[in-house]
Amino acid sequence: MKMFSVSHKTVFVVDHCPYMAESSRQQVECDILTKSRGQGVIPLAPISKSLWTCAVECSMEYCRILYDVYPAGKLVNYIVSDSEFHSLNTWRQEEQSTHELMSALAAVGPPNPQEDPECCSILHGLVAAVESLCSITEYQHESRTTLMETAERVANRGRIICLTNAKSDTHVRMLEDCVQETIQEQNKLAAGSDRLMPIQQCELVLVHVYPQGDDTLVSDRSKKEISSVLISEVHSVRAGRHLASKLNMLVQHHFDLASTTITNIPMKEEQHANTSANYDVELLHHRDAHIEFIKSGDLHMAGSTSRDSGLKETVTLKWCTPRTNSVGMDNNELHYCTGAFRMSPVDVNSRPSSCLTNFLLNGRSVLLEQPRKSGSKVISHMLSSHGGEIFLHVLNSTRSTLEDPPSISEGCGGRVTDYRITDFGEFMRENRLTPFPESSSRDSAGKTPSERAKAQLERHTRYWPMIISQTTIFNMQAVVPLANLIVKESLTEEDVLTCQKTVYNLVDMERKNDPLPISTVGSRGKGPKRDEQYRIMWNELETLVKTHVNTSERHQRVLECISACRSKPAEEEDRKKRGRKREDKEDKAEKNGKDEEKSWQDSDRLKWAQDKEDQTESEIIKDSPDSPEPLNKKPRLTEEVQVPEKSKGPVSLLSMWTSRITTANSRKHQEFAGRITSVNNKAELYQNLKDENGMDTHENGKATR
Amino acid sequence: MPTVVLMDASLSMTRPVSLEGSEDFQRKNLAVHGLTMLFEHMATNYKLEFTALVAFSSLWELMVPFTRDYNTLQETLNNLEDFDKTCLEAALQGVSNVMQQEWGSGCPCQVVLVTDGSLGIGRGSLRHSLQTLKQRRDDKKFPLPFPFPSKLFIMCIANAEELQETDAMDNLEQLISLNEGDGQIFTMEGPLCLKSVQSMFGKLIDQAYSPFHAVLHCGNLSSDVQVFPRPEPMILDEEVDPIPKAVQTDLEIVGFIEIGDIASPPVISRHLVLPIAVNKEVDEVGTGNTDDVDEESSANQMAGKSPNFCVLLHGSLKVEGMVALVQLGPEWYGMLYSQADSKKKSNLMMSLFEPGPDPLPWLGKIAQLGPTSDAAENPYGEDDSKSPFPLQPKTKRSYAQNVTVWIKASGLQTDVQKILRNARKLPEKTQTFYKELNRLRKAALAFGFWELLKGVAELLERECTMLPDSAHPDAAFQLSHAAQQLRLASTGDSQQAAFDHNITPMLTDFSSGGDRM
Repeated sequence: MKMFSVSHKTVFVVDHCPYMAESSRQQVECDILTKSRGQGVIPLAPISKSLWTCAVECSMEYCRILYDVYPAGKLVNYIVSDSEFHSLNTWRQEEQSTHELMSALAAVGPPNPQEDPECCSILHGLVAAVESLCSITEYQHESRTTLMETAERVANRGRIICLTNAKSDTHVRMLEDCVQETIQEQNKLAAGSDRLMPIQQCELVLVHVYPQGDDTLVSDRSKKEISSVLISEVHSVRAGRHLASKLNMLVQHHFDLASTTITNIPMKEEQHANTSANYDVELLHHRDAHIEFIKSGDLHMAGSTSRDSGLKETVTLKWCTPRTNSVGMDNNELHYCTGAFRMSPVDVNSRPSSCLTNFLLNGRSVLLEQPRKSGSKVISHMLSSHGGEIFLHVLNSTRSTLEDPPSISEGCGGRVTDYRITDFGEFMRENRLTPFPESSSRDSAGKTPSERAKAQLERHTRYWPMIISQTTIFNMQAVVPLANLIVKESLTEEDVLTCQKTVYNLVDMERKNDPLPISTVGSRGKGPKRDEQYRIMWNELETLVKTHVNTSERHQRVLECISACRSKPAEEEDRKKRGRKREDKEDKAEKNGKDEEKSWQDSDRLKWAQDKEDQTESEIIKDSPDSPEPLNKKPRLTEEVQVPEKSKGPVSLLSMWTSRITTANSRKHQEFAGRITSVNNKAELYQNLKDENGMDTHENGKATR
Repeated sequence: MPTVVLMDASLSMTRPVSLEGSEDFQRKNLAVHGLTMLFEHMATNYKLEFTALVAFSSLWELMVPFTRDYNTLQETLNNLEDFDKTCLEAALQGVSNVMQQEWGSGCPCQVVLVTDGSLGIGRGSLRHSLQTLKQRRDDKKFPLPFPFPSKLFIMCIANAEELQETDAMDNLEQLISLNEGDGQIFTMEGPLCLKSVQSMFGKLIDQAYSPFHAVLHCGNLSSDVQVFPRPEPMILDEEVDPIPKAVQTDLEIVGFIEIGDIASPPVISRHLVLPIAVNKEVDEVGTGNTDDVDEESSANQMAGKSPNFCVLLHGSLKVEGMVALVQLGPEWYGMLYSQADSKKKSNLMMSLFEPGPDPLPWLGKIAQLGPTSDAAENPYGEDDSKSPFPLQPKTKRSYAQNVTVWIKASGLQTDVQKILRNARKLPEKTQTFYKELNRLRKAALAFGFWELLKGVAELLERECTMLPDSAHPDAAFQLSHAAQQLRLASTGDSQQAAFDHNITPMLTDFSSGGDRM
């Protein structure tokens, strides 16, 4: 259904004139005496509803169904007419609820039979209804403002449902003419206003309500075009249940609804709790839930039957008792669902209906089966509630075009057996989503929550080896605290301390010569020696932390800590490493061919691709055997960097990095106390370490012994 | 998206194509040549497509039911016999039946009609069908538009000029518009020869059968993938603000959600996500796959051995019972999950949600979903015992809020009986008694049903007189108090008739004193 179809706006105009106080003459026995108490008691005389009561409760039922199926975007304006009109609500979404309307109706009360019938007329209400249709809804307003120049595409259509007691067919003609004239007048007015819109199409549904036992003075008439704008139809209905079923049909017709009857619902008997009988419950929902039946012309085959009203059909579906008894179990299955539609029970407070809805509201789902005379059983629908709303899900019951696909293990990467499945599962849990209220939608950087979620994924995957044999640090329990913290957007002092502790712990392990979980896959013999293992581990740890070094000064400090704690002076280490790594890689290349090489490069590229600004630098310091030693190239920032003691040999990776970062950072903060007090630009860092661990000190990132 | 090839096997297809210096070709040979090219393309680049072959003349026959076995299709095509005149309407009805029997009426389908453009004469001709379009009874409706979403491609073994000489082109165009504009007419350019038929089918392949390649991203992790079947572009909101939507070639994961939380959401289509090797040459249409089969298979083996993100993702989604929410374009989302078929083979699958900012009411706006680490406390609880989903709607539905409906007499009777039952158990049931009484009072006031208020007041007074001697004295006080209040409400104008006013229990010495004792 289009957003601004005739059904976007519905005006109820209900007659509140004295004659509506007349009895409907449908009697209700509300005093049911049980046998044991019946003796000697005079039962209460049956009571009967007035025409007004019938009209109000049936129109409320119409609204109840409408609001259940369309909680937003389908609006009702309820108008009561006597000597003047009373509008009980507006088009605003907040005023769209049966509770709101009932409260307003209570204030109006039943019609006053003593009022002068001459002053009262339904016409007041009809005129007000046309005016109301001209006034713009918040949806139309929003659509028009977002569309700007194509705003004229927003249509203004609506429907008037008038419940009245007309005197004759001529009287009905008079009402139609009045609506037609008012539309013309109002459209002229609306053309010149911002808050009003001319009516392009209006459907008038006149329902003549008369007491039981009377002969009708008004004849039914199907849809007739009064003018290019106005289409009118007339229904002549007896008050009471006839009116109720008429309005039930109208709401289905007006809002594209269809009916499904759930059959075979087992339910405990009220009197005998240990026996159960089967019940049926009828539901209304958008007719697209039956689209498969409608298209295939299967409506009758699917067990559809005509109901007492004889006009509308219902599709019967059979209840399938859920397999498991525990709540939640049956929710962990992902069904192939092609549609989900809100529903409303026809008989909302009957016992079978409320049993069914309560069962669903408690979190259970029910599969529904097409009753077939023969053949296998076909599950075609499912009832399930989400947040207190029950949906009829349409399940696909035909053959899938995706059957028998190649298994994922036969495709790319399918032969690899040591994926970090559990670790990635953990990663997914950490990156689960949660809703945020729209008020707090954007953070200081103007990012929506979902953009922040993506940013978090980016941070968490800067260094994320996919297979166990590609990583050492992620196989070590000891690294976990640091690995979990370093990916955070901001670190607290405490976090930094935890990271540092992790590093000291690793240093400790190295000193004790603890074995590391280095993969021996792809290497000859027993694998690398212990000190080589630690070197690989430290390198990997550095790689991880370096990808986050630009996040904050505290992240930077974690890197500094690692660099400071590594057992070997960086420069010497670096040179050795390059030599060895080249050998390593040659071995690997022989074994795994070009792909391996490629993935190495890829992962290198990945590490550095984060910061485009830094790309030139990253080229220089790229730790790859294919790139030449970047000795001759000067860093871009040379003029600001104090190149440390060039004479002592080539600039090390660490010193370049540190000086670059130092420069960058020095622009952002006050000068460190240490540097201010330094002599010749040299200050002793990590003096505490020296005291505690007997480690070497480093100056400006360059080792001195 | 299954394909039905509808092949014209009428006699006119055997008309020779006059060409100097070449062998004698019939139009049928050209058609077979074109289809062979299509089948070869599909066998290499689109192997998961199901294709059926229907031949037609005055009758139609399903030559090959839906299959992925392109050899069978090819063989049957090669051995196709010639029949009598063209009768397209019956053949299209046949396609409709074949499709619905196999796939139901919701599955989108592509129909490739191959014809020479001579569309029959007299009864059963397309011209006749189209002329009588409006004089049909319900059971004899023209098969177009098909009940399922479809694209109709008409491959004419004729050139445009030839078709325009007769009304064939007009008729075919009318056919496309009958199918709600979904489809296209292809004609041959230049002389009718193998080369031009190749170029015509080449265009069809480019338009309808080129594989959809994309890159799946999860932060810095990524994988090249083929999405099968191709996600088709669509148009959102056709009335007010038509926005064409197409799936982007960068699929970005936003985050992860438990299967229980996403709760079998409605989807518009499902697609396999197959990781592919980054070797670009393999993707080229119909080339380079003849000589080095060995090399290709070894390349495949190699690709099998290098880690791929899709495999990792699939494994973890399966183990954890989760889905990945993936962004397909501006305000369009889908989900990735592990799908196992009956043979226990499983695969990475992607389902597309309805385009729009909030496709699922129980998740809310997708742009408002953020990382749990941003929340003040973990919404899933420290021990994973909670979930922030589903989102609660602002207002409750009628079935969740104990509404009062008296349309059927039984509804009213039940409510009155409930009050009387509780009235007999006063003072123990004081709270429930007044709760039910107030519910009835509110509804009666709203419906202007004052007579009911008086009636129930009368009933309560009667109950009062019928109290047994053993009854608690409070019961009589409460009953007459309630009855009096109802009568007051039924007079309308007083403050007692206000909708939001509630009748409260009468404060008696018994109730407070009784409690203490």
